[in-house]
Amino acid sequence: MRRKTKKMSQKVLSIVFCVCIYAFLFLPIVVIVINSFNATTSKPYLSWKGFSFMWYVKLLKNSVLLDSFANTMIIAACSTVVSTIIGTLGAVGMYKYTFRGKGIIDALLYIPVVIPEIVLGISMLTLFANIHIPRGMLTLILAHVTFCIPFVIFNIRARLAEYDLSIEEASMDLGANRSRTFFEITLPVLAPGIAGGALLAFTLSIDDVIISYFVNGQTKTYPLKVMESIKSGVSPDVNALSALILVGTILAVFVTQSNLFRNKGKKIPEVKKHEKK
Amino acid sequence: MQMMEKRSAVHEWKSNGLPALVTVVPVGLWMVLFIAVPLIYVVVLSFCSIDQHYNVVFSFTLENYRRLLNINYVRIYGQSILIAFLSTALCLLAGYPFSWLIARTKSRWKNLLYMLVIIPFWTNSLIRIYGWRTFLGVNGPFNNALTALGLVSAPLDLLFHRSTTVLGMAYCLFPFMVLPLYTAIEKLDISLLEASNDLGAHAYQTFFEIVLPLTASGIFSGCIMVFIPTLGYFYVADILGGGNADVIGNLIERQFQSGNNWPLGAALSIILILITLLLVKLYQRAGGDMKNLGV
Amino acid sequence: MKRSSVITGALAAVCLLAGCSKKEAGQVSAKKGGNLNIFIWTEYVPDSVIQKFKDDTGINITVSTYSSNEDMLAKVKAENEGAYDVVQPSDYMIQQMISQGMLEKLDKTKLTNVSNIASAYMNPTYDPDNVYSVPYLGGLAAIGVNTAKVKTDITGYADLFKPELAGTEVVLDDFRAVIGMTARSMGYSMNETDPAVLARISDKLQTLKPNIKLYDSDSPKTALISGDCTVAYCWGAEIALAMQENPDIKVVFPKEGAYKFMDNWAVTKGAKNYDQAMAFINFMLDPEVMKMVLAEFPYMCPNQTAVAGMGDAYTSNTAKNPPADEVSKGEFVKNLDTDTLAVYDTMWTKLKS
Repeated sequence: MRRKTKKMSQKVLSIVFCVCIYAFLFLPIVVIVINSFNATTSKPYLSWKGFSFMWYVKLLKNSVLLDSFANTMIIAACSTVVSTIIGTLGAVGMYKYTFRGKGIIDALLYIPVVIPEIVLGISMLTLFANIHIPRGMLTLILAHVTFCIPFVIFNIRARLAEYDLSIEEASMDLGANRSRTFFEITLPVLAPGIAGGALLAFTLSIDDVIISYFVNGQTKTYPLKVMESIKSGVSPDVNALSALILVGTILAVFVTQSNLFRNKGKKIPEVKKHEKK
Repeated sequence: MQMMEKRSAVHEWKSNGLPALVTVVPVGLWMVLFIAVPLIYVVVLSFCSIDQHYNVVFSFTLENYRRLLNINYVRIYGQSILIAFLSTALCLLAGYPFSWLIARTKSRWKNLLYMLVIIPFWTNSLIRIYGWRTFLGVNGPFNNALTALGLVSAPLDLLFHRSTTVLGMAYCLFPFMVLPLYTAIEKLDISLLEASNDLGAHAYQTFFEIVLPLTASGIFSGCIMVFIPTLGYFYVADILGGGNADVIGNLIERQFQSGNNWPLGAALSIILILITLLLVKLYQRAGGDMKNLGV
Repeated sequence: MKRSSVITGALAAVCLLAGCSKKEAGQVSAKKGGNLNIFIWTEYVPDSVIQKFKDDTGINITVSTYSSNEDMLAKVKAENEGAYDVVQPSDYMIQQMISQGMLEKLDKTKLTNVSNIASAYMNPTYDPDNVYSVPYLGGLAAIGVNTAKVKTDITGYADLFKPELAGTEVVLDDFRAVIGMTARSMGYSMNETDPAVLARISDKLQTLKPNIKLYDSDSPKTALISGDCTVAYCWGAEIALAMQENPDIKVVFPKEGAYKFMDNWAVTKGAKNYDQAMAFINFMLDPEVMKMVLAEFPYMCPNQTAVAGMGDAYTSNTAKNPPADEVSKGEFVKNLDTDTLAVYDTMWTKLKS
């Protein structure tokens, strides 16, 4: 009986603890969403003046803010595509072949993952300044691809760890050439790793602040526009846009990950590292 | 099997140089051009100086490093490491039990619980940090609630302190602690715990002698993935710390902006890289696996 | 997983298309009047004014902002020449940029509205004959006090160092402004170079540290209005705007004489859109436009036609329109040599550590 109450109280404590953590995680989001309905018109838009949808309407007229979001989407899409292609090729190549310089490339891949982003940001700024590439969409995409590639490669490597090369040999013995083998055998097997890497790349690109801060020139990305707003006092249309983006991403997740609620206890939407048995 | 694979891999390389080139050259070239070359330039830049008009002068000097060994700069390195340490500790102390509960739950909402950790991080991190700034202000919702409930007599002074920055850093980097821990804890074989209990071990003993060592990989990679970025997150220090809790990232940002001193900024970046490499070495020495990072 | 990859891919493609179509629309309208890239101080040119310029001329204008002269200089130097067309340097920065050959000469024939500027502000020492710049707005960096919360008597910069004010102040995130203020509080110039004097200033500066709660050059009024800070050392109009939100807030002009500044319009060398830049500067010299600016950012205004058209609410408000005797007591920031600046940088780092 005492053991049962001890277990009960443990369970209650665990639930309370988890709820507190979740509350902590969602707290600023709740604050932001609530303030998007604030009817205030005077800077710094902090005092509550009543409930209103006016800032959602004003958002539609805020072309600078919407443009910055469009920029972020374009950059994220381009960076994801380019880094996924380069990353997939690179991961497969580095897995299959050994060559001089492989260790160097491997080390270089770890740099964006381990080194603080600000170092990457300033180093790329110095590169672009010296080559006289005007800072803007192009430099943003180049920079984003650079820090996305390692994450794509590491995700695919996890998948490659249990990839049996003899499948490819079998395919070629049966008469398929290299590229056919690659597209019809290798890629489908690696598909979850590639998709996971691409999703990670997209996520990192959308929320990138520090590296974009140094190489953006005059192009505004959505995070940088938010940073600019914070300096002057965030007007609630920025809150409105954030709320809409959040709703959009939650819907996107529910649509694409329907197995979320059919819990078999193991499958989760992120790629996990598989141990070599 | 492994020997055969290796032999065939080498054989393939010798007879099919082109496929190898096609796959490896793009990534190799990209990494060299956008990572290696700029970093080498930054090293070179750190030994340069500036003239009256803030233009870089390419003559070798150790002046930047000499300036950066000044006690005032060293104090900020110390402050950065302290903030990083406190943020990591906070993430670990809150994150470990949390990851344990989520990873080991038998509830049918397990996937949802996992996603609920990740969903907040799809909202822009800057706006969430600003949300904290709004929330903790002297006339913000938190203080208003506390005063309304009669829990405090005067509003609490919570913003623009070092502790606020630690909170912000821990908040931003929480998933980087939870994800590796979750992975490590999920792999834990529960029969080991049961065996330990059957052999008469106390819960604490089981935890410290069985669970902790087995989940060590998760702990190490989580700690490193929180500690290192903290040193560079200048915008969290700016927004929540108000300029009172500068980290090394702020120093670097300042020299590339208002300081107009790229060589000094480059030298600061080199120092930051060295600190990072030192931490990675410690991580590897403690048994951490590089493969656990970044996934 | 395969189905979700397809859907994710489709989502990405939709985003790309949406983004691109929006960009196309933007570029089409740009062809009409051309483009213009301006680089201005935060909280200095109202969005309504920018919109009016866009509507009147059809020029597609891109606005970037900065928080200090040094930030502006850093970004302009880092970019390719002419990336920014119009900039807003302060007095000493104009001089610095002229000496580095970073500014284009202004075509006076295009600036028909320049006659609206009072002659007292024309032909300044930092740009004789206004070859490269025309004045925009200026003012003093004064002290704002929330008299309901702060009972200490504050009459000058020296009072900002009082121990009773611990953890109450928001100051400009500008090393020349704060170090200069410290110097003036001790009776020195804002542009000291003597190492012995600088050492004494550095010691005094350290005593300010416990009093500073927030460094903010962009919108210091936010902290004053929200109550997070009760004393402010910042730009005059920021204090004026805070006073409008909270009548308890009062402005104090330091008895030592304040940090004085005058910001100007200038065009960078190699500006790609010179004609549009001239059109913009002439637009900003229009008294009706200046009145729109002053309604939102009430600084000291050299455009006498505009000032004449402003009511009492502006002209007799000392925070918005500082009295002449306070202005004459004030001191401009001047350019310093690299070695002195290195000492200033060390002082600033020490303050923030």
